[in-house]
Amino acid sequence: MTIPALKVSGLTKRFRGVTALDSIYLDVARGEVVTLIGPSGCGKSTLLRCLTWLEEPDDGFIEVGGRPFGRAVVGQVVHRQTRREIDALRPKIGLVFQNLNLWPHLSALENVARGPVVVLGRKRAAVEAQARTLLARLGLERQMDKHPHELSGGQRQRVAIARTLAMEPELILFDEPTSALDPELVGEVLGLLREIAATGMTMLVVTHEIGFAGGVADRIAFMDQGRIVETGPARAVLDNPTDPRLRAFLGRVLPSSPRVTA
Amino acid sequence: MAFDPAILVQYWPLFLQGAWLTIQISVQAFLLGYTLGIAVALLGLMPGRLPRLAAASYVEVLRAIPFIIILFVIYYGLPFSGLRLPAPLVGTVALGLFASAYYAEIVRAGILALPRGQFESARAIGMSPLQAMRHIVGPQVARAIVPPSTNMTLTMIKESAVLSSITVPELTYQGLVVQGNTFAPFEVFAAVTLIYWGITLAVAGAAHRLERRLGVAQARSVSRNRLAASYLLLERESAR
Repeated sequence: MTIPALKVSGLTKRFRGVTALDSIYLDVARGEVVTLIGPSGCGKSTLLRCLTWLEEPDDGFIEVGGRPFGRAVVGQVVHRQTRREIDALRPKIGLVFQNLNLWPHLSALENVARGPVVVLGRKRAAVEAQARTLLARLGLERQMDKHPHELSGGQRQRVAIARTLAMEPELILFDEPTSALDPELVGEVLGLLREIAATGMTMLVVTHEIGFAGGVADRIAFMDQGRIVETGPARAVLDNPTDPRLRAFLGRVLPSSPRVTA
Repeated sequence: MAFDPAILVQYWPLFLQGAWLTIQISVQAFLLGYTLGIAVALLGLMPGRLPRLAAASYVEVLRAIPFIIILFVIYYGLPFSGLRLPAPLVGTVALGLFASAYYAEIVRAGILALPRGQFESARAIGMSPLQAMRHIVGPQVARAIVPPSTNMTLTMIKESAVLSSITVPELTYQGLVVQGNTFAPFEVFAAVTLIYWGITLAVAGAAHRLERRLGVAQARSVSRNRLAASYLLLERESAR
């Protein structure tokens, strides 16, 4: 059995008594593309924030490429990792934020290069060369020295993705990558995600684009009220949903499919 | 009674000494105060209640006490703990502490005004909190906090006059000395006023240049944007 890129077990998060994540179990194999769908407020974004330890989960374990992240069981004791241990693994888990959070005071090139230089301690010259190649590959060869506010929405998205890729992560988490875009850009970004998936990158994508979920994802996980209610191969989940809540959700987001009331 | 400039001609070395000490004390108190201020601001933004409470108490206590009382408490209190330090040193430290509380609030407000996602995106790729502050948060906050920091620095420079009450021979003290020798308070304090004015003017000018320089990076990137540049040009045209 190969080690999964991401292994989540029993992940639980409560906010003042409200359970946002209720014992989440999820494995993502190397090179697999998993989309996470579900009604808003179901805990999808919270899950991504817990997976990057921006939010500390109250319970449960995360493993990235076989290495425990955040918490580890040493013998019989649960050991909470130090900030340093957590920071050391963070580059392995890329996160593309919903609103990107590009750094406005830095050029596109510097947005991409600053991480490897500061965090991984790489030589600046080598990092810049790599960042240029990366940006060029994403079609930004003429935007490298521009600042984020000079770029279009789609270009910004590419810079954010390049910034994440530059850290050479084992998997990338995308938080609703198309929600902040103009409708005509949605196709462009989905195409980009397809390209990245084609390179063999492991991806966990929170999305409302059921079309993307069905077309690119190997697997779909459906979340509702902090739990993963149903998971399975993309087509099977979309064509033959078993859980009534998933059927109701698909009925709302897929106008063409027969409306099912819960 | 006529304005007698001869007094100033005779005593100018004392004014010069005083002014020089005021400048030295101000620079040192600024460095101490801003370092402490940044530390206290970061402490106040740390997770957990204890550091936040510690930072808040620090600021509350120092802001609640008039500066002259802070100065007296330290200057007359230290000998009780067996520590006898020269007045200029005590005065500088007291001034730095006084200013640090206000600097801390300025820095804290500046950081809080920045969207939290800026810090989070730096942390998410593995930067430590300090690296995130240094590379991502700090440069964006710097420009915004220059004007309020300048205000506080000018206030602090003027507060340094209070150090004369513990015999620190700074500008005001020397003014009092000259006045005692000449019984010409108007001439003396007119001169002292002009010197303070010169010092604060120089600081304000330097701060203004710093603000512009920190803003240049932003301005340059705006003017490189053709659309934004055209709007700026239009504004300039219509302003004529």
